[in-house]
This record gives sequence, structure tokens and C-alpha cells, in this order.
Amino acid sequence: MNSVWPLVITLGYVAIAMVIGLKARAGRRMDTLEEWGVAGRSMGPVVLYLLIAAGSVSAYTFMGAPGWAYSKGVAVFYVAVYLAYLALVAWYFGPKVWQFGAQFGHVTQASAIADRYQSAALGALAALVMAVGSVAYAVLQTVGSAYILFVMSGGAIPVWLGVIIVLASIALYLYISGQRAIGRTSAFQGALMLVVAWAVGLWAVHSATGGLDMADVFKRIQAEHGEFLTLPGARGDMSFSFWTTSIIVSMFSFMPPVWTQWMCASSARTIRRSATWLPTYYVVILPMVIVGFIGIYSLPDLARADTVVLEYAMANLPVVLVGLLGAGTLAASMSSSEPFIHSVSLSITKDVLQPLFKLSDALTAKLARWLLLPVMALVIAPLAIAEPGSLVMILLVGLGFASQVLPAFIGMFFWPRASKLGVMAGIVAGFMVTVAFTTLWSHPLGIHAGFWGLMLNLPVFIGVSLMTPATQADVVERFFRIAAPRGLKRLGKQTSDKSASTNAV
Amino acid sequence: MRRLFVLPTSRAGWGLLAAFICLVMAGIWPVIGLLNRAVLVFGLPLMIVWSYGVIFACVGVMLIGNRIVERDDHE
Repeated sequence: MNSVWPLVITLGYVAIAMVIGLKARAGRRMDTLEEWGVAGRSMGPVVLYLLIAAGSVSAYTFMGAPGWAYSKGVAVFYVAVYLAYLALVAWYFGPKVWQFGAQFGHVTQASAIADRYQSAALGALAALVMAVGSVAYAVLQTVGSAYILFVMSGGAIPVWLGVIIVLASIALYLYISGQRAIGRTSAFQGALMLVVAWAVGLWAVHSATGGLDMADVFKRIQAEHGEFLTLPGARGDMSFSFWTTSIIVSMFSFMPPVWTQWMCASSARTIRRSATWLPTYYVVILPMVIVGFIGIYSLPDLARADTVVLEYAMANLPVVLVGLLGAGTLAASMSSSEPFIHSVSLSITKDVLQPLFKLSDALTAKLARWLLLPVMALVIAPLAIAEPGSLVMILLVGLGFASQVLPAFIGMFFWPRASKLGVMAGIVAGFMVTVAFTTLWSHPLGIHAGFWGLMLNLPVFIGVSLMTPATQADVVERFFRIAAPRGLKRLGKQTSDKSASTNAV
Repeated sequence: MRRLFVLPTSRAGWGLLAAFICLVMAGIWPVIGLLNRAVLVFGLPLMIVWSYGVIFACVGVMLIGNRIVERDDHE
């Protein structure tokens, strides 16, 4: 590919994102975590919809998902299903999290955990271990961004330079405008991704079949490669149990940036409205996946499955569309990495450094912004440039841990008796199992390691909680006035026990 | 306190919980196993059509949920 247009269009996207991100501040002072961290809890339903949607659609949708379709087939759609289930999770929990934040002043997930269990140590532990998974995720997205710049420039922008360009752009507007920059850029990125995905998908169908009917692609796959249309997929490695447990584990992984996004809403109702329509965005996955299916018969000998869309586009699509694909893929990577980088900086400052050094709120807010720079320059950039082979493993362990924090949320939303020690014991037990079943014995019996972790985690959590002191009653009461505004029920009895309301907690 | 738990308090709430559970069940085994056939529906593989059916059913259930929550006037 000799044309300069793909690179011009891709860099044009970066410039537009920069302008939008920098202008998002709109003259506001960013010297409080309330403003820099959660955008003054001001986002409306449309921006919130695109913020959550763009954040959940990463480079995976533009590269990984078509790669899965190319190598495994329809198994890739477990991602679309669990993303829709995450909308159900947002619909139920999001408004309650928003109320926690608005009433108790939380700006991070770990703050809420520390408050519910009256334990700064538990909050710090949650912040630190969630940071491992978050950093790994941000690094993977940055690698994807740099790779796109490398390809679009025909190799003129090496990976190390691509990493610096992308991180410098993000650092600038995140420092200046904080969560407002994430909201505005995500709105732009979300719209761009949707348009690009369908434009590329339909053009690819046209170039492969001569028409716009996707059925022609699948008729050929059905006739020649029927194994791609069912589980366990063409490689035989996506069993029903892995599909099922992956969805369940992913559903219960409450990642910190998502929690923070919920707290950015202008009201509890706003979250519910955004979550309701959120699954509609995932039509963005279909056209990209179809390019992966086309690749099965048109590019049968690819060395790397996740390059299928780029390879197909460069061979068959006009240069302008290739450039838009570069911009769309870069948008997907950046829209996913920004919230994670912001969240790490915010949570480490608020939940680890502030209690440790007894910092004032003003200094904490200032430090959170500055911490972006070392996080990016000393952690994310070197890791992205080095591309350690264990990165995906770190990510899997990190995400496996995210699901192991589930007991903390059960105690926050459902079970007032949950204790600090019960949560800690459950997390430690579940995490060790998850690590072992990710690294030593990968997904035994085809069941996701995080699911194995939960199977030990939950009984340990319940048992230890029942044996150790509960959190003080007044704290539990204020949380459950929001989590259960109509009171709680006593398990094992037939009738609703109004007297067993929050007053009895 | 040890046996207190948050559960729905109205018939509509229980119905909504049942709908949520049905949605989740629709996207995992054993339901997925029943649909695991290499056939095309509307020109798309059955698994893709079913996945998007589940996805849009989520929207429908949440729309109904919004009516229930807003009718009851509590968050």
C-alpha cells in the first residue's frame, strides 16, 4: 500500500480527538476529583450511552473479533451476548452506584468498598489489584493503537513512536479535561466506529460477492466450512461450558472504569435510560465479524488471524476506506484505554495514596492528574513497546481477579451480613484458584478459571462472614436504604418481612 | 441480620427478576446447545440470529423494567 491517504485520515482522527478532548473542559476548573474524576456527575443519556458503548468496544471488535470468526467461527458471538448482559447489570446496579456516589461522595469503586466495609485496607487492596488488570488492558489497547499507526504509515511510524504519539495525545486531554474528555471523545469515537464498521463490512461483502447480501457469504461458508457455524468452532476449543462460564464470569466482572462511568451520569434515571438502549450499539460487531468470515475462504493462509480485516481491506478496499478503518480501529483502542488509564490514576491516588499519607482532598485531586504522567511514561509505554509475552496472561489474571471481587458487591447490594474479613477471605481464595487455573492448569474441564475461582470464593465468603463481626449497623443501614429502598426479606420465611427493613439491619 | 437478603417486594419485581433470569438462560447452555446447528435463518447463521435475538430482548425487558420502576416512583 503506497498511498499516503490512510495515514492522513488516521492522523486526522487523532487530531480531531485531541481538539474534542481539549475543548471538553469548557473553562471549568479541574481541581476537584468530583469534576476531574466524574465530570461533576453531569452526563446526559446520549453521551453516557456512547461513553459506555465506546469503552466496551475495544480494538478487539475491529481486530480480535474478526480474527476469532476467521479461526473459530460463530463462537465469537459470546462477546456480543455478554456485552448485552453487562447492560442488564448496568441497568440494575448503575442507579444504585450513582446514588452511593451522590450521597456518600464516592468517586471510585474502591472508595465504595472501603466505605461499605469501613476498611481503608480493603479499599486499597481492591484498588491495587484492579490496577493490575486495568494497566494490562490499557497496554494491550496501546499496542493495538501503535500497530495501526505502523500499518497505516507503511512502517514509517515504528511501534515505539506510535506508542508515544497515542499516549501523548491521551495524556494531554486527560490531564486538561479529565472524565469530560473521555465522555466527549467517546461520543465521537462511538459514532465513528459504528459508521466505519458498517461501511467496511458492507464494502467487503460487495467486493466478495458482488452484492450487499450477507447471506451469500454464509451460504458459501455453510457449503464449504460448516464447522464455523457451530460450537465448538473450527478449532474445537470453544465448548458449551467455556461459552457459558465465560459469559457468567464476564457479567460479574465489575471493572472500575465502568463503575466510575455510572457515577458520571446526571441522575439515576439517566443511567437506566442509557443502559436500556446500550445493547443496540453491539450491531457494530456484526459487519466486522463478517469480514472475518469472508477471510476464511479468501485469505486462507494468514499467519495472524487478528490481521484478517486489515489484510482484506488493504487488498480489496479503496484507500479512503482503509484510512477510515485505521481511524475506526484507533478510535476503538483509544476509547477503551482512556477510561482504564484515568481510572488507575484516580483510584491509586484516592484509595491508596490519600489514606496512606493523609492527604487533603485538594492535594489528592492535583496528584491524581499528575499521576497520569508516570503511569503512562513509566508503566504503560515501556510495557507497550516491549510487548512482553506474558501480557495477555497478566490481563487474564487481572480480569479473573475482577470477577473475584464479586463478594464485595454482594455485601453492598444484597446481603447486609457480609463482613470485611469474609470479603477478604473470599477474594484471596478465589484469586489463588483463578491464578492457578489460568497459569498452571488452564481452564480445567473447559470451564473458565474465574468460574472455578468463584466456586471456592463464594462459600468461603459466606462462611467467614458468618463467623466474623459484621460492619457497624449505621453504615450498613445507609447503604441498604439505597440498595433496598423497600426493605429486606428474611430468607426461609414465606412472607415479606417489612419489619426486617433497614431499621433491623 | 444473617438471613436478611434483598429480594423483589412486588409481583412486578418478581416478574422482572424472572425475565432477567430467562434472558441469561437464553444465552448460555443448555439453550445454546439446542440451537447449535449449521443452518441459516434470514441468511445468517442460527447462532448469530439467536445472539442478536437475545440482545434485543434485553432492550425489550429493560424498557418494560423502566415502566415498572418509574410507575412505582422509586430508584
